[in-house]
Amino acid sequence: MLVEYIPLFLVIAFAIVFAFGTVFSSKIFGPQRPNPEKLSTYESGVQPVGTTHERMSVKYYLVAMLFIIFDLEVIFVYPWAVQFKKLYLDPSVGTTAFYAMLIFLVVFEIGYLYVYKKGGFKWD
Amino acid sequence: MTFTVHDLISLSPVLLIGVGILATLIIEMLVKESEKILGWFTFVLLLSVAYLSLILLDHTALVFEDKFLTGGRVNIFFFLFSFGAAVVSLLSMEYIKKAGIHFGEYYIMLLSSVLGMMLISGATDFIMIFIGLEQMSVCFYVLAGFNRRNERSLEAALKYFLLGSFATGFLVFGLGLIYGAVGSLSITEIVIGYETLKTSPLFLTGTLLFIIGFSFKIAAVPFHMWVPDVYQGAPTSVTALMSTTGKAAAFSALIIIFSPIIQAAYPSFFTPVISVLAVLSMLYGSIVAISQNDLKRMLAYSSIAHAGYMLIGLAAWNEKGVSGVIFYLVAYTFMNLAAFGLISLIEKRDLRGTEFSDYKGLGFKQPVLAGLMALTMFALSGIPPFAGFFGKYYVFLSAIEAGMTWLAIVGVISSVISVYFYLRLIVVMYFDNSDEIVMVTPSTSAMLGIMISVLLIIIMGVAPGSIINLINSTF
Amino acid sequence: MEILQIAVITLVKILIVVTLMLLTVSYLVYFERKISAWAQNRVGPNRVGPAGLLQPFADVFKLLLKEDIVPFAATKSIHTLAPMLALFVAFTTYAVIPIGPSVEIFGYKVDLVVADVNMGILYILALTSVGVYAITFSGWSSGSKYSLLGGVRSSAQMISYEISMGFSIAGVLLFAESLRPVAIVNAQSGLMWNAFVQPIGFITFVVAAFAETNRLPFDLPEAEPELVGGYHTEYSSMKFAGFFLAEYANMIIASAMIITLYLGGWQVPYIEKLGLPDYAVVLIQVTAFFVKMGVLLFFIIWVRWSLPRFRYDQLMDLGWKVMFPLSLLNLIWVAILIMIMN
Repeated sequence: MLVEYIPLFLVIAFAIVFAFGTVFSSKIFGPQRPNPEKLSTYESGVQPVGTTHERMSVKYYLVAMLFIIFDLEVIFVYPWAVQFKKLYLDPSVGTTAFYAMLIFLVVFEIGYLYVYKKGGFKWD
Repeated sequence: MTFTVHDLISLSPVLLIGVGILATLIIEMLVKESEKILGWFTFVLLLSVAYLSLILLDHTALVFEDKFLTGGRVNIFFFLFSFGAAVVSLLSMEYIKKAGIHFGEYYIMLLSSVLGMMLISGATDFIMIFIGLEQMSVCFYVLAGFNRRNERSLEAALKYFLLGSFATGFLVFGLGLIYGAVGSLSITEIVIGYETLKTSPLFLTGTLLFIIGFSFKIAAVPFHMWVPDVYQGAPTSVTALMSTTGKAAAFSALIIIFSPIIQAAYPSFFTPVISVLAVLSMLYGSIVAISQNDLKRMLAYSSIAHAGYMLIGLAAWNEKGVSGVIFYLVAYTFMNLAAFGLISLIEKRDLRGTEFSDYKGLGFKQPVLAGLMALTMFALSGIPPFAGFFGKYYVFLSAIEAGMTWLAIVGVISSVISVYFYLRLIVVMYFDNSDEIVMVTPSTSAMLGIMISVLLIIIMGVAPGSIINLINSTF
Repeated sequence: MEILQIAVITLVKILIVVTLMLLTVSYLVYFERKISAWAQNRVGPNRVGPAGLLQPFADVFKLLLKEDIVPFAATKSIHTLAPMLALFVAFTTYAVIPIGPSVEIFGYKVDLVVADVNMGILYILALTSVGVYAITFSGWSSGSKYSLLGGVRSSAQMISYEISMGFSIAGVLLFAESLRPVAIVNAQSGLMWNAFVQPIGFITFVVAAFAETNRLPFDLPEAEPELVGGYHTEYSSMKFAGFFLAEYANMIIASAMIITLYLGGWQVPYIEKLGLPDYAVVLIQVTAFFVKMGVLLFFIIWVRWSLPRFRYDQLMDLGWKVMFPLSLLNLIWVAILIMIMN
């Protein structure tokens, strides 16, 4: 079983080396002539105003939270999806395999509709 | 996993509340001004859940892959949670309007927390306890901060959240160790292997961490720091819920773990720990409560002391003690509901008016409310014809039977101390006077809730035998 | 097989695939510029080499010889980490995508996939999630408002579409009964391509893939008129090249994913009935894979030069209010289909 994963580790190791090499190659080949003007933040040519580390709108955090919830839902669906045909053909389970997941999804989607109705998906 | 009709019927209280939560969500999103309907809807729903759990008392069933038990003692807890929450929903209706937090989500959160409590009390597996506890706690965190424009409410929510998640950390760490020692999180497995486990340091440390985690939730000293600020800052109706059914749920977790071990007559290794917690909680709660000037804060410290009394029942490590704790929980729930209900009525629009000085002369201005408040205070201090007395009586009795008379004596001393601060309120109400006018508009719903609680306090005080017999019969 | 043998074969495969990817990326950029020129009635690059064919190499050398500027306001470590993460994701995801059936070469049985693992789909999903960090990090660490807005927008957009993507894939899994990409391809033999069986899932997945790769019409993170360069405004030299490379590599991977999941992978319907020798079948199949990929890549570029950009709220609305319910419907539809078929 574990032998299957050896290529993956090799790929990952190769990618790490590749990423390092690419990013640091300009340190070798490129010139290094910094000056204050060059290193100032780009703001379409005018003097930079204020900092960037300010508070963001709470809506972005809301998106992140909703993502966590629904992504977890997806993760629950996967094992079911892989096993569904087997479960359906198993006479002791049958259509229960379908309805069980349907109930789960309906419960989740009521939450989704609630967020929708309450304006959780208003992005203005 | 297959369900039989019997399983479904036995599960119906839990299923009903689950469907109810979805229904409240749908009502909330479809109906404008849903908060007007949802209060009564929640009340009716919780009442029918309470009724179902009572009539299904002898429908024992092991469901969800043997992870959830219904019937018997579990149903008594179901009844306690749902009926207590029903009373809270009565108390809330006018209060949240007054506090400016009149949103339908309040009731959704309330119902979800009750579902969490039910999951705790029916669990036969630590994972189920954990899930239920988290569901309950998260709802409480939100409810504590429900008054989001009030600084104190936010402070309460944040404090509760931080310390609560800290406690959960202890709990999960404990569960990890228990799993390492037992190889399973099922309570039955633990009881079976108890003989070998009782010398395993992993298991003992794990259980100790578990007890510590729950000590946070039941507010036992030295894990009580959050209680005064949270009880004071949270909306009063929410405090009523947290301090009664919330505490009962945390106790139910301890009971369902320890009572199979007690029943199998295994010796206890946790008695010293629990006794220390009990003594500290009783004395600390009673003594610090004396110096409080805010009624909600005073009741918070008194709730710490009450946690101490209840822990005596567990420390006694016999079946009588366990049924004593359950009786005490029921009594305490309705005493505190009545007390917080009355506070929420007398509280002013800007959420002030919970100081002792605000109650000056209440006995002449609002004779009915003051009378009920006096009765509740008598019951809380444990003066005979009311529920509080018999709660303490059963718990102390079990300690004496277990040969722990000293624990009972400490309990009595602490009760005597506590009489001082309970009666101080009565003195303030009837013997002080002020020119301030107390504006109170007792709403029908809140009065109904208070009357139900007071009636139950009296009934439990008059006929404690039948109720303790009912609890004993479910062993 | 011995571990050493596996390692050697894998290294050879990695070298071949990475070289192929790098070449494809270079010429994808070239073709994008040519196609855009064609779409806008221009000529496009035509100076370096015949018909501008050496232009990509000129670009790479130019970027390599430029100064690497890290602004004062930037958080240096994260600023450097971000392009590395982007490259890392782009050059690991290809590992599980099969480009052909297993073949015998010099007596060895070789799978035409770098790593044939049983959780390939989860691997891809996990890595695409890591890709979000690259963009968030670069946006946050640059210390520029354009970068920050681009990064935040982009991460919000990517996670929004990841859900409908996840549900669309669940529909595919229902048929394949496995998370192994090779098994998914094998489940689509004949004309049972998922694109025909579950068209809704196909459409939602393609749209989500566009959003995940930040391509037009979903390229708000780098909407030039508003955000200059978006999250890579403050990057230069090879760090910029890293993002650029990763973006185009992601395009290739996205089209490969679409092919594997919905367009039958390397399969050509009914080819086994022609009675061709084995090696010819494999050759045709591998060629089919690359032809499909070429068509899809052309499609992606074509869309870029045909459709205008969405407004941000429209984009999020589409993701949450249209794509999410649609992908869910697709899932239920496929489950019902399986029940009917059996």
